[in-house]
Amino acid sequence: MTQNSTLDPGIRSGSAACKSLPALLAVLLSLGGCSMAKVAVRGSMPMMEGGIESMNRETDLELARSAIPANLKMMEGMTVVDPDNGELRIRAAHGFYGYAFAFVEAEEPERAARLYQRCREHALAAIRPASLADRLETAPVDELQGALQQADRSSVPALFWTASCWAKWIDLNRDDVQSISHLARAAAVMERVLELDEGFYHAGPHIFFGVYYGARSPTLGGNFSRSLQHFARARELPQGKLLLVDVFEAEYLDRQRLDRQAFHEKLTAVIAAPDDLFPAMAFANEVGKARARALLAREEEWF
Amino acid sequence: MRTLTRRLLAGLLFVLCATSLTAVAGPRYTLKFATLVPQGTVWMNVLEDWGREVAERSKGELVFKFYPGGVQGDEPDVIKKMRFGQLQGGAFTGYGVGLIYPPARILEMPFLFKDHAEIDEVRARYMPEFEQGFRDGGYELLGWSEIGFIHFFSKHPLRSLDDLKQQRIWLWQGDQLGEAWFQAAGVSPIPLSITDVYTSLSTGLIDTVYCTPLATVALQWFTKTAYMTNVPMANGIGVLLVSRRFFDRLPPHLKALLHETGRATGERLIAMTREDNLKSIDILQQEGIKLVLNREDIDQTELEQLSERAAARLTASGYIPRPLFDRTRALLGEIRARGTSGKPRPQD
Repeated sequence: MTQNSTLDPGIRSGSAACKSLPALLAVLLSLGGCSMAKVAVRGSMPMMEGGIESMNRETDLELARSAIPANLKMMEGMTVVDPDNGELRIRAAHGFYGYAFAFVEAEEPERAARLYQRCREHALAAIRPASLADRLETAPVDELQGALQQADRSSVPALFWTASCWAKWIDLNRDDVQSISHLARAAAVMERVLELDEGFYHAGPHIFFGVYYGARSPTLGGNFSRSLQHFARARELPQGKLLLVDVFEAEYLDRQRLDRQAFHEKLTAVIAAPDDLFPAMAFANEVGKARARALLAREEEWF
Repeated sequence: MRTLTRRLLAGLLFVLCATSLTAVAGPRYTLKFATLVPQGTVWMNVLEDWGREVAERSKGELVFKFYPGGVQGDEPDVIKKMRFGQLQGGAFTGYGVGLIYPPARILEMPFLFKDHAEIDEVRARYMPEFEQGFRDGGYELLGWSEIGFIHFFSKHPLRSLDDLKQQRIWLWQGDQLGEAWFQAAGVSPIPLSITDVYTSLSTGLIDTVYCTPLATVALQWFTKTAYMTNVPMANGIGVLLVSRRFFDRLPPHLKALLHETGRATGERLIAMTREDNLKSIDILQQEGIKLVLNREDIDQTELEQLSERAAARLTASGYIPRPLFDRTRALLGEIRARGTSGKPRPQD
């Protein structure tokens, strides 16, 4: 794919904005001499915000399923033009995660793993300083924990999506020892996010650790009471409106504890929740309901 | 009207017949099988392949229902549930075997075997008596697997066995074999549940653990240690069992099917475990773990004396029968004298 074909709309709007040479020069100088294409990319960021907000409010999963891929490709094309645009990278990471989780993981786990891998690459590219991103994969874990201390609150989005996508990729590659060995790294990154901003992305760090400790037997490193604490905190922060908290608790912790009643009751309640429970995150809640239905269909097999 | 009534009756009869056929078409035997092996791993895939093969070849007469990832609890819980008939089968490590038929743990005796070839040959010789031992205890042995070579992982380098005395070593609570060996070596280990190991390594309560390379990666214990002994201390065993209460009810053709497929599944698991443990050692080295203590660094006479002292404790308590230990030593002597461990003797 060429840059032009990817960026047609943006380039067109950029060109329109810079019809006069002095104006164009002023813009280029103000941006430190970066290319026209980068100007277009950066100029389109506010529009993208609107698109993301609209997608978060989407209640029609089919519409979302068909709309997201084109947007992902557009964002990816923009990252080719403006690879150091951290905000754009984070948007791309978020988009790939959401699409893989909502529409791909259940039916095509191998493809989902590849999408999570792309998600992680975008998130890693947003980490500052860049040397920290390099160390995430190579430094021994105890050194990595030290290195992560240099990350401040501004690094939270990049670290959060790095750890989230990494953990998903590991989860879908459990048959590979090398990937399993990375779990400690992903967890170390999310630990830092938890320290810096526990409420980020609707208490995402707590949901992560709820699953992390709840999805394994205590013999294999699980810890049910810690899992419960994290889920409880996650439920507290977005005031119980994000249905995925209950879905994850049922899918991982209740299933691991073989608590069929809790599994059934939680998922049934999720399905029965009102559609207008949390309009700002209506899409996530619709995804949660769809996942709850899919999980309930396997109840007999698992318990 | 009469035709319509006939049609309705025929339709009703068809529905009734179809319903009763469906009821009869379900499996005659369901084998609920629990394991600590997590879903999605290569080992669980192998177990699921086993289940599919049995279902297909028995034409749905015998089906597995798997409970992976320890959802039915730890090995002692699974044993309890098998005794109560809530579960019919399970995969166990030496820890669980110690609760059912401890003599089979002769294959886990520390520093007794030098390589896989020795282990494979001795195990093949003992298999008939092990099968009988499990049977007498109320279990049918369907397959033999293993968790692999167990090494020490430590925060400080172990240059000799004597160095063990200076470490704060974890002992898996209730592991009689480990306890006897540590006592014989003059080491005072710290008994802890496996669930407390990671935290205790973090807090410094312990600084040395014993585990397979693969499990060290999976449990993330490697993140808290810096060294691994190159010489393994033992080879961790694994078994695939069903309760006799279930097995004895099966018709002969299903018993034969479970034995044949269980044996093959065990062999596949052994091959994969050996491969993944080797891969794990590479990964651990990439992660900065340094290998220390080779077999040559250990005085063989000292090791034999140590092994003898541990055996004396274990045989005195009846955990490992003395004649079995003596026979194993003699057998290993033969294998080593022949210099062709793993290959059949000419007279075989």
